[in-house]
Amino acid sequence: MITKQRLRDGFRKFWFPIESDRWLTTLRVGLGFQAILYAWSLRTDWNYLFTDRGGVISPRVSEAILSAQTSWVPRLSWLVAAGQAVGFNEEKVLFFSWILLLVAGGGLIFGTFCRAAAITAWFIHLCAAKSGGLMSYGVDNFMTIGLFYLSLAPLPDQSSLDRQWRRKFAAASQDRQLLGFWRRVLQVHLCFIYFFGGLTKSLGNGWWDGTNLWRSLIRPPFNIVSPETLLAWKFFFPIGGILILLLETGYPFFIWPKRTRHVWLLSICGMHVAIGLTMGMYLFSLVMIILNVAAFAPQFVSVPWLRRARAAIA
Amino acid sequence: MASEIRKIFRARRLLAAGAGVHFLLIFVVSCRETSWLVSQGLTILPSSFKSAGARIEKISSAALGSGLAKANPLRQAVAAYIHVAGTEGGYGFFAPNVPDSCTLLFEIHNADDSVEYALSPVQTAAADLRVAGLLDKLGRSEYDPLREGLIKMLARSVWQAHPHAKSIRAVFGSVRLPSISEFEAGKKPSFEFLSAYDFSLKADAAKSEAQ
Repeated sequence: MITKQRLRDGFRKFWFPIESDRWLTTLRVGLGFQAILYAWSLRTDWNYLFTDRGGVISPRVSEAILSAQTSWVPRLSWLVAAGQAVGFNEEKVLFFSWILLLVAGGGLIFGTFCRAAAITAWFIHLCAAKSGGLMSYGVDNFMTIGLFYLSLAPLPDQSSLDRQWRRKFAAASQDRQLLGFWRRVLQVHLCFIYFFGGLTKSLGNGWWDGTNLWRSLIRPPFNIVSPETLLAWKFFFPIGGILILLLETGYPFFIWPKRTRHVWLLSICGMHVAIGLTMGMYLFSLVMIILNVAAFAPQFVSVPWLRRARAAIA
Repeated sequence: MASEIRKIFRARRLLAAGAGVHFLLIFVVSCRETSWLVSQGLTILPSSFKSAGARIEKISSAALGSGLAKANPLRQAVAAYIHVAGTEGGYGFFAPNVPDSCTLLFEIHNADDSVEYALSPVQTAAADLRVAGLLDKLGRSEYDPLREGLIKMLARSVWQAHPHAKSIRAVFGSVRLPSISEFEAGKKPSFEFLSAYDFSLKADAAKSEAQ
């Protein structure tokens, strides 16, 4: 009986810890910047990537592949059809959705209409990621994950302008256990991501002898650093490969204890910075760092204007 | 007051149950992806693991509703949920090994008989990463009509940037990456021809000459 009670208490403590909303502020502001940079990075190619008329690849192909799995997932053709019903052509709908993503990103950064901004950013990004499914890569997965959790988390947080400007939020108290729950969900998800990422890598011989590290750095279009420069680091590749395996597979075991958390987190963030700088995957690296910092070290983020806003609210 | 507390507890229990289902789905998807790699013999595990991998893949696919009819609402709902939550693909990026990359070269034949070359139809580096990902997917595709159809779409978009082109030849291939020792010995990344497709403005149909 006592054991059952203990288990229940342990379960409750793990899944519903009492938390501040600092992690949510980090996630909100971080994903706001991410959404804006994502949209901005595709500014000249947005319509070209997603148009059905003379673009790179017709979104119909990706959408047909998606429909073979499920027809319930949002896609750009839904937006285009809705736009056409009220007299907008495809080009205008695509441009409008791009603008909407930028606006939603801005809303997330400043914390204005947080929930609506989070859902809009998640929805528009999801539509783009699914309609361009054949051209999507890791960054789309992780943006979807982050925005999905952000849409469901207890917004608005204390640092948002919503809390200052909108009376109904200013007066409402926050459910700190609910904040703890959603942070825990993000933390556990990251553990799954790194563990399985590390596990699948460890099943390839190339990660044990450094071959894969070398290949990933010289592989077009990630070959930003010249192979001649990389040669000077050739003795590091086997160590680097094993370090990556250790960092990723060990993440769920070493990120929780306080003693190892900061070392692991810094190493993981360092790995993502290195991926960004040496492979040109800036957006991918940024979203991974945002998710990690929001989940495990939001106290490290200290933005002066956010601090001032927080103090003003307090 | 007591009913309020009960309500909160009920909501907490529902949330916890939802999280349980959520993580179960993530676990099953990740297991499916990993066991697929094992079943295909792409890992360092002995070949005796292949059948176990295939079995786990089958079980995990069934758990995701693959055995149900396509229109089955449960199957549709599970597939939709893992897509909207961003968990549909597992997390084995660059795993178990880093494959060679694929590339597509466009040879543009103009009306004045001059020839131009183009690599990518997009302008930004971010879009270029996406096109590179697409080419890798085309390289892995065993269904040639899909590859040809998609390359035709890419060629059409190149055509828009070169309206005076008479015909376009799309050469698809993979870039063989040298090992460190090969690179030290002077070997550079080399292009390996996979297939070529000719597109002309008059005959919209594509002729392909597969290797």
